Amino acid sequence: MLRPVAISCLVAALALPALPRTRPHYGGVLHVEVAGDPMQSPGGLARGLIFDGLASLAADGSLHPALALNWESGDNFHRWEFQLRPGVRFQDGTPLTADAVVRSLNASCTSDCPWSSAAAVGSSVVFTGDSPIPNLPVLLAGDRFLISLTVDANGQIPTTPTGTGPFQLTSNTNGVLTLTANVTCWQGRPFVDSLQILANRSIRDQWLDLSVGRADVVQVPPEMIREARLQQFTVVASPPVDLLTLQIASAGPLSSASLRASIAQAVDRAPLLNVIFQKQGAVSASLLPQSLTGYAFLFPSSRDLAKAQALRGGVTPPPLQLSYTGGAAMQLVAQRLSLNLREDGFNVQVVPASSAPTAALALRTLPLLPAEPSAALETLLRADGQPIPVSDDRLAGLYQAEREFLDLHTLVPLLDLPRAWAVSGRVRDLTLRTDGSPDLADASLEDSSRDAPENAPGNAPQSVPGNAP
Amino acid sequence: MTLRQKLLLLFALTVTAAVAAVAWTVLLRIRQVFEQRDRQETALFVSQFQREFQHRSNEVAAAVDRLAASDQARTMAFQIDQSGDSAPYLTTAQTMAQQAQLDFLEIVGPDGNIVSSAQWPARFGYPEPAVNSAAQTPFLKREDLADGASVLGLFAVRAIGGSSPAVHLIGGERLDQSFLGELPVAPGMTIGLYTAPGPTVSPSGTTSPASPSAASFDPARLVTASGPVPGAGRYQSLIDSARRSGQPVNQILYLTPQRQDSVNATAIPLKNQSGDVLAVLTVALSRSGMIQAQEHIRAIAYGVAAGGILLAIIFSLWIAARVSRPIERLARAAGEVATGHWDVRVPERKLGRGRDEVNLLARSFNRMTAELVSQRERLVQTERVAAWRELARRLAHELKNPLFPLQLTVENLTRARQLPPEEFDEVFRESTATLTAEIQNLKTIVARFADFSKMPKPELERIDAAAVVERAALLFFPTAIRPVGEGIAQPKSGQQIKLTLDVDSRPMPLMADPELLHRALSNLVLNAMDAMPNGGSLTLSAHRTVKGVELRVADTGEGLTPEECERLFTPYYTTKQHGTGLGLAIVQSIVADHAGAIAVESRPNAGAAFIITLPAA
Repeated sequence: MLRPVAISCLVAALALPALPRTRPHYGGVLHVEVAGDPMQSPGGLARGLIFDGLASLAADGSLHPALALNWESGDNFHRWEFQLRPGVRFQDGTPLTADAVVRSLNASCTSDCPWSSAAAVGSSVVFTGDSPIPNLPVLLAGDRFLISLTVDANGQIPTTPTGTGPFQLTSNTNGVLTLTANVTCWQGRPFVDSLQILANRSIRDQWLDLSVGRADVVQVPPEMIREARLQQFTVVASPPVDLLTLQIASAGPLSSASLRASIAQAVDRAPLLNVIFQKQGAVSASLLPQSLTGYAFLFPSSRDLAKAQALRGGVTPPPLQLSYTGGAAMQLVAQRLSLNLREDGFNVQVVPASSAPTAALALRTLPLLPAEPSAALETLLRADGQPIPVSDDRLAGLYQAEREFLDLHTLVPLLDLPRAWAVSGRVRDLTLRTDGSPDLADASLEDSSRDAPENAPGNAPQSVPGNAP
Repeated sequence: MTLRQKLLLLFALTVTAAVAAVAWTVLLRIRQVFEQRDRQETALFVSQFQREFQHRSNEVAAAVDRLAASDQARTMAFQIDQSGDSAPYLTTAQTMAQQAQLDFLEIVGPDGNIVSSAQWPARFGYPEPAVNSAAQTPFLKREDLADGASVLGLFAVRAIGGSSPAVHLIGGERLDQSFLGELPVAPGMTIGLYTAPGPTVSPSGTTSPASPSAASFDPARLVTASGPVPGAGRYQSLIDSARRSGQPVNQILYLTPQRQDSVNATAIPLKNQSGDVLAVLTVALSRSGMIQAQEHIRAIAYGVAAGGILLAIIFSLWIAARVSRPIERLARAAGEVATGHWDVRVPERKLGRGRDEVNLLARSFNRMTAELVSQRERLVQTERVAAWRELARRLAHELKNPLFPLQLTVENLTRARQLPPEEFDEVFRESTATLTAEIQNLKTIVARFADFSKMPKPELERIDAAAVVERAALLFFPTAIRPVGEGIAQPKSGQQIKLTLDVDSRPMPLMADPELLHRALSNLVLNAMDAMPNGGSLTLSAHRTVKGVELRVADTGEGLTPEECERLFTPYYTTKQHGTGLGLAIVQSIVADHAGAIAVESRPNAGAAFIITLPAA
């Protein structure tokens, strides 16, 4: 008799610690540190937490309704109508209306918009285009077209960025952004009460803070993923979400296509991946990754210096500038490319992008969306400043479009790179979004009591909101 | 230039030359000594610098040694050897370089390719040729950097212990302005570094030859610890020499036209392992202190020399005066003698001090003047006696002629007492007439002598010489035409004499007594006419000369012998049968009273010419 009781007690005892792990806690302050500006557009970490788009992309690349419940196209993708989700309010209580959405989209897209006009029709937003816009829902799911409040209920411009996302910005002092949970969020309340995002923090300092418990989520650049793992950090890495490219200006000293082709042939991608990025990511000579299209292998990524020199044809080009944006790794990549090009007879000087905005060569990172290939390609091209509609869903057509674009040699794909974050042991269920940023709305803290004394009463754990999707 | 001036100049030049030679020799020697010391000092500093440079090289080698022996390096080498993956060590070189305080550090894998580079991180995977160097000693190498610059460095290569095949470390220190600033520098010393552009080395290790402009000197490439070298162009010849020869070169460089701004510069070529000159280190020691000392000594030398020369001139003045004073006295005395003052004497020094040549000359001069005076007195006495004898002879001769008729007349008259009275009366009248005539003749003789003894003093007035000549010509040749006239005279003997008058057309003013001058000229014309008893040609001329006015009376008579010319103006000397010998003496007396001179030019049978020279008014 005692034996079954004892066994039951033992099972119960073993099961008790497991209970909290299966049910996330509400409350607590999540400390996040980033190297850049979290409000930077595009790609700022806080933007995705404060604002929502009309649609959203799931991690598997599937498109989901967000502020728009549904959408439909007409006139051979020249017209789109997005039906807004009812009952959604901005964080200050202003209702989300079609007019507010149109104002926000017009404010965020002043040029090279996918659409020709956007209009509010009742509770719908109607987009029309001079050319077909087959990938508009995916484009609207991107960071560029997040919906923000431009005019509040009183007709005033809000003093703080206001969206419909799970967090609202409450303060921004001394480089620390404090975001509190939006309890009225249409997606439901996030688990943590607030976020404290420390901006412009160096990677080493972030890691130190993570080591001593002052930070919960910190950035891990791709070139340091290996090191972070060696330091026993818990690293959450995304699949490749960034395409590192070399942009070549078609005007100016490199107006000759053969010179640009020579540059494209002279770059040596393998050392960039194997040494600088410590084998994190993949070598790429195509715009879209192999996993998305299956034809990326058709673009040779190996270096052919002899061909490069033949393409140069003995021409001695004038000294060129190669600009870069980012940290030491990007500078190193630029210097390595400069070395590659020097072997090809080019004299390339590496400069920060801030000091050479019109450099003939530039290192740029473009987003790789796990969406439909045509949508992913159009998104990527738009990010590159090439508003080219891609409407062909056939792989052969896509390949042809990509081949024709790459044959211009104005953009040389180099590497597909992941994004990664290191998290402390008290963070639970942290997942990454399609752009590689952490989905902090779904993350919870293992032990939120540590932050209780520091939190305002309003930030105390609350019940699950009723308006969860 | 007087003797005293000549002596002074000679003494002064001699002393000045001697002082200048001594001063030049002293200054030259001082300069040589200073420059020798300067060279020694520079050589000492250069030697110290080379030792310091070697010390820094050893420090670099020691730092690389320590790194190669460190656990971190050995672990890394082991891992690379075991795994063959060098990617994790991409930034290791930067970390290790910071630890060792090295400017350059590269980790080179067993394949000879760079694993990690502190100075150019992007060069990983490229070969590093310097790793093949087996040298244990530090060496110079030009290192290309990511920004395109090419800098010079002092490098050492070490294999990391325990790794096989070896992983190498190539560490180095930059040779630049900061390196120069850390070197010990003596006061006045400037250390510069000239980095020559060298061959271009591609990342893959292939070498391209240096550009042609690399051989030319670029002043901007010469820097010191504090920046560019002012007047770097002055170093060109020094640096070019060092680059060409590959050996240290020493030169004195003048940085500005000011001599103080010069340096004693040594150029030390810095070579790589192949012997190529990568840079030239210049050690320049300012010569301003030495130049100032030289200037100070030179100023003193010039002062002493100037003082010496001044003293020499003063001494020369004294010496010249002492030497020339007796000679000047002699010269003055000789001048006095020349003017007829033969009784002049020059002082003689006493015995013992007066044995030099000048004193002997003075004594001889005094003896000579004494002898001259004595001889003149004797000559005067002799001439006086001769004159008296001549006078007595002339008087006897002149008086004898009238006396003889007088005696005959008186004797005839005495004898006539015996004649009848009519005859006696006839004889008496003839005799008294003869007596009267002869007595008159005696009176005339006496009057002539009286005239000569009573020559009047000339009454000078301003006249023209032409007038005197024309007056004399008109006296004997009334038909003479002025200025160049010709006339014919027929003297008492009846001979034909042709006159030629040649008078200068320019004014010939004289201060003279016209009557005395006319008398002198008339005497000369009469003498000339007497010299041409058979006729001839007489020329009267008057011309301006440099010294005054020259009057000339020339005939074409028989002429005079030299002996006659010498005695011609002696009173009572005559070549005529009935002359008194006073005519030319009177002429000479008149000319002398007018401060003039008379001379005669004559040759036998070629006529004679009397030339009177008178000072112009």
